[in-house]
Amino acid sequence: MAALELEVVDLGKRFGDFVALQGVSTKVAAGSFHALLGENGAGKSTLVKCIVGYQMPDEGAILVDRREREIRHPADADALGLGMVYQHFTLAPGLSVLENLVLARPRLPAVLDWAAERARLEAFLDTAPLHVPLDAPVATLAAGQKQKAEILKQLYLDRRFLILDEPTSVLTPQEADEVLGLLHGLTRAGRLSVLMISHKFREVEAFCDEVTVLRRGRYVGRGGVAELGRERMAALMMGSEALPEPPARAARVPGVTRLRVADLAVHDDKGVAAVAGMGFDVRAGEIVGLAGVSGNGQRELVEALLGQRAVAAGVLEVDGAAYRGSRAEIDRAGLASLPEEPLKNACVPQMSVADNLALRSFDRPPQTRLGWLRRGTIRARGRELIAAFQVRTPGPDAPIAALSGGNVQRAVLARELAQPRALLIVANPVFGLDFASAAAIHQRLMAARNAGAAVLLVSEDLDEILALADRVLVISGGRIVHETTPAAADRHTLGRHMAAH
Amino acid sequence: MSATSASAVAVLRAAPDPRLAAALRALAGTVGALALAALLFGAFLVAAGHDPLAVYALLWKGAFGSAFAWQNTLLRAAPLMLTALCVVLPARAGLIVIGGEGAVLMGGLAAAALGVHLGGLGGMALLPMALAGALAGGVWIGLVGLLRERRGVNEAIGSLLLAYIAAALFKHLVEGPLRDPASLNKPSTPALPDAARLGELAGSGVHAGLVIGVLACVLAHLLIHHTPWGFGLKVAGGNPRAGRMVGLPVGRLAIAACGLGGAAAGLAGMIEVAAVHGAANSALAAGYGYAGILVAFVARQQPLAILPTALLVGGVAASGGLLQRRLGLPDATVNVLQGFLFLSILVAEPLFQAVAQRIRRRRPR
Amino acid sequence: MSADVDLWAVPLAVFAGAIRAGSPFLFVSLGECLTERGGRINLGLEGALVMGAMSAYGGAVLSGSPWLGLLAAIVAGGLLGLLHGLICSLPRVNDIAVGIGLMLLGIGLAFFLGKPFIQPRAPGLPAFELGAWSSNPLVREALRINVLFPLGLAACALMHLALTRTRWGLALRCVGDSQDTARALGLPILRLRLSATALGGALAGIGGASLSLFYPGSWNEGLSSGQGLMAVALVVFARWQPWRCLYAALLFGGAGALGPALQAAGVTGAYHLFNAAPYVLTLALMAFASERTGAPGELRLSR
Repeated sequence: MAALELEVVDLGKRFGDFVALQGVSTKVAAGSFHALLGENGAGKSTLVKCIVGYQMPDEGAILVDRREREIRHPADADALGLGMVYQHFTLAPGLSVLENLVLARPRLPAVLDWAAERARLEAFLDTAPLHVPLDAPVATLAAGQKQKAEILKQLYLDRRFLILDEPTSVLTPQEADEVLGLLHGLTRAGRLSVLMISHKFREVEAFCDEVTVLRRGRYVGRGGVAELGRERMAALMMGSEALPEPPARAARVPGVTRLRVADLAVHDDKGVAAVAGMGFDVRAGEIVGLAGVSGNGQRELVEALLGQRAVAAGVLEVDGAAYRGSRAEIDRAGLASLPEEPLKNACVPQMSVADNLALRSFDRPPQTRLGWLRRGTIRARGRELIAAFQVRTPGPDAPIAALSGGNVQRAVLARELAQPRALLIVANPVFGLDFASAAAIHQRLMAARNAGAAVLLVSEDLDEILALADRVLVISGGRIVHETTPAAADRHTLGRHMAAH
Repeated sequence: MSATSASAVAVLRAAPDPRLAAALRALAGTVGALALAALLFGAFLVAAGHDPLAVYALLWKGAFGSAFAWQNTLLRAAPLMLTALCVVLPARAGLIVIGGEGAVLMGGLAAAALGVHLGGLGGMALLPMALAGALAGGVWIGLVGLLRERRGVNEAIGSLLLAYIAAALFKHLVEGPLRDPASLNKPSTPALPDAARLGELAGSGVHAGLVIGVLACVLAHLLIHHTPWGFGLKVAGGNPRAGRMVGLPVGRLAIAACGLGGAAAGLAGMIEVAAVHGAANSALAAGYGYAGILVAFVARQQPLAILPTALLVGGVAASGGLLQRRLGLPDATVNVLQGFLFLSILVAEPLFQAVAQRIRRRRPR
Repeated sequence: MSADVDLWAVPLAVFAGAIRAGSPFLFVSLGECLTERGGRINLGLEGALVMGAMSAYGGAVLSGSPWLGLLAAIVAGGLLGLLHGLICSLPRVNDIAVGIGLMLLGIGLAFFLGKPFIQPRAPGLPAFELGAWSSNPLVREALRINVLFPLGLAACALMHLALTRTRWGLALRCVGDSQDTARALGLPILRLRLSATALGGALAGIGGASLSLFYPGSWNEGLSSGQGLMAVALVVFARWQPWRCLYAALLFGGAGALGPALQAAGVTGAYHLFNAAPYVLTLALMAFASERTGAPGELRLSR
């Protein structure tokens, strides 16, 4: 049960004309904790998918404990003791942890002896530093416990080399520290080697020994975390591209209250209160940042604000009048929104790009005249927006689901922000975008604020909130638990409030 | 290659009107599915010891082979157009409503119950009857939409259950409170006065319901594709979350689409009562509501495509009698063909795509 | 007989009906339960049920043995179930629409192939005469228990054990709960689903056999009254648990017996309305008692 060493040599992978990886070589020493850094699209996912057998590299070799291995299928990776923990959870939510772990175990007999399975698992748990309730359905566990159960599963399967794909994105800083600390302990004990994809320098510095950096599918550097330092790692990731200017904040005094929420209660899909006793204001000319760990009611709150989810109780007002999200109210409020997962939340996947660009305007002149929908106008307007926002699409008539994630996001941005808006509700707006696109969106949000718009920015990325917000609210357990300003905020205090519930 | 054909190819390559291209693709898929159904049904006939070519020849003859066959086919196509709309309109809102039969019964019953009293109105009697039929059918299927949007009741099952309930209610009323005491062995409501009967189209033997059916499909096409209401419905049906985000009353749109569809089916019931049966009785439950599901799916939920499809399905039904008389085939032969047709429509496109993909994958890059 | 005695017979008839008319509900809802545990809805079980009823009757007529008829029903239902699973394995195919297609096809085939069997009498399945001690014919009739009913109890127990105590059952529940998880584990998703839908179809076939070979014990085109469709609602009510399917089936069988029982007792005014009781009950259950707890995660019952 000793940790494995893993080396990749000159790995290459193309998809059609697109070069995803080229000549990537690096090595993870046995028992080390290695970070894999790079921007979106740098090839990190492709690299790890090649290692665990979800994709086959076109060229190059993978060496496990210094022997070249052909990994054609996830089962091959399993047999070698290579495992992977994903950003999202992969345990079946309706089954218990015990059932999930038993189902994953190799050579499972056709008839199950639950007493024996439980005894076997408990014996294993005695040697593992992680503890998770075994009999609760996975769906009822907190995010940190789910992630621990995922790791537990990997250990139960005797994995000796673990790949983690942004494992802490759904955890509080404290939960993240606990989980990564446990893994760190296992590497020190020589039981495990870890390769972690991350974009959180704080975690890389705290737990990792070495780092490999990719950029645009190529290897650009490698070294000890301590030797390189944060500046150098960032420089390697970004290359020589000039960093966009941080958005300029015009000095201004916030104006009237545009959005008011008081004693708001919203239920989740199962009818359980996800938001309760929530209250805050957003005034004209300010960005209010709502920070928190995913799963604390942000999604339900944003859905309620956008009219996608019923308000169970409380006040939701825009400009002093009750707000339910009808088209007339949206119009009057000048509301626009960039929700997370735009294809799922803000688009009709099978409708065309042009139609999707018209969702806000289709029933108004010139798109509609005398009750008659003018499809030619909708297409022409679509073309203009596609050009203005550089949406890459085969044409205005292509179904929007055929576009890449970044281009869907750009199309929604075009629809929502093409004309000036007075009230913006924005959730994780740059998730999955590269530095340049993210910076462009941040510029637009700041410009809207400078022009007097009221902006609510809900984000799981503390850096984004601290860079943009005028006021910072912390959401935890479905209510606001802390308020501060970016200037006065310190991360540790914010993290403590995020975890408090 | 001649210059003209070369330029024709160039025109085709130079991205023709995308809507035309999409329509052509859909048409090709439908034709493929029809061929697949014909093949499967042919194999079935062979296995059952019949000559498929003789059966197909007779099908054609019974459906379109003579003036009488055409008349028979058109009489069946008229209500099918309306009951297909009862599937198509809710489908635009993302709902699979399969209980149109209930709306046919309720619409027919309402029209018959009202029409009996309208003898004095002359030719105007048909208008209130049509309104009553549409209203009864609209409320019935509207209820399906309401149960779906407010209580989360799956609309496919909900509409079927309501169809069973409608059948029970229909029998109860026709055999009880609304029964004409003179109808002895076939319980019926009282016969409609002449003023409340829908007449023929100028000596064709086909009643005016056909015009109503065609008109309803054209109107539905305009509503769906050329009004902001139809656009909003498509958004609400395609992704309710996005619909709500841009302020559309998603639930109300779905309920309204169900109500409109139900109104069309209710109108079908009224037409059958006023033009064919002259009263409401068990003959009204002829299965037009269920056959409308098939028409809607074969028409790929497009109102204009309903017109040829209703002719096809109506023709198949019309030839059932001939198959029975000439070849001694059971009357369920038509149902078997319809079953194969339905499955072929569902399977054809994904199947053809999967095959095409496999061929593409085999071809070296 | 006085009116009092007649009315006393109503609860007895309802009890008898619960078991007699509940048997087809039991099998078809178990079949639907198994199908849905794999993450699919099969409205085509109605077709499998009717096809099963025809095959059982025809098989019994041709072979002279009701048991061979039952076997024919199992095979016919299983094949239709398998077909549902196969078609749904194609990309972008809606399982509810496929179910409707299979319902049409199954009913059409059954009517086509069953035409010659409407006239002849088939040997029926045996029954346990638990009421032999009583001199009252009503009691005797009520306690005449269909041999398929104990078989249904055994099927409940077996399905419960299979789902909780076997690798197959655990894997099937995983497939029904999260296809992504199943794929990551390398489970044979297609094979698991096919086995569940085929077994589900076979169970629906047995349900059909209980209609044609026991109660009402004949074959005609009006035999089924939509039990295969109502099964979907029963399974929601049963929260996807085999044992709760039993209670649901008894409840629906009893509700269905209400109309005929009242008619027999002389209450005839609203015969057809009482016949609608199971449908109204189903609708009410789905509207007001449809907690989604225990629903397999991959099921598209409601968005």
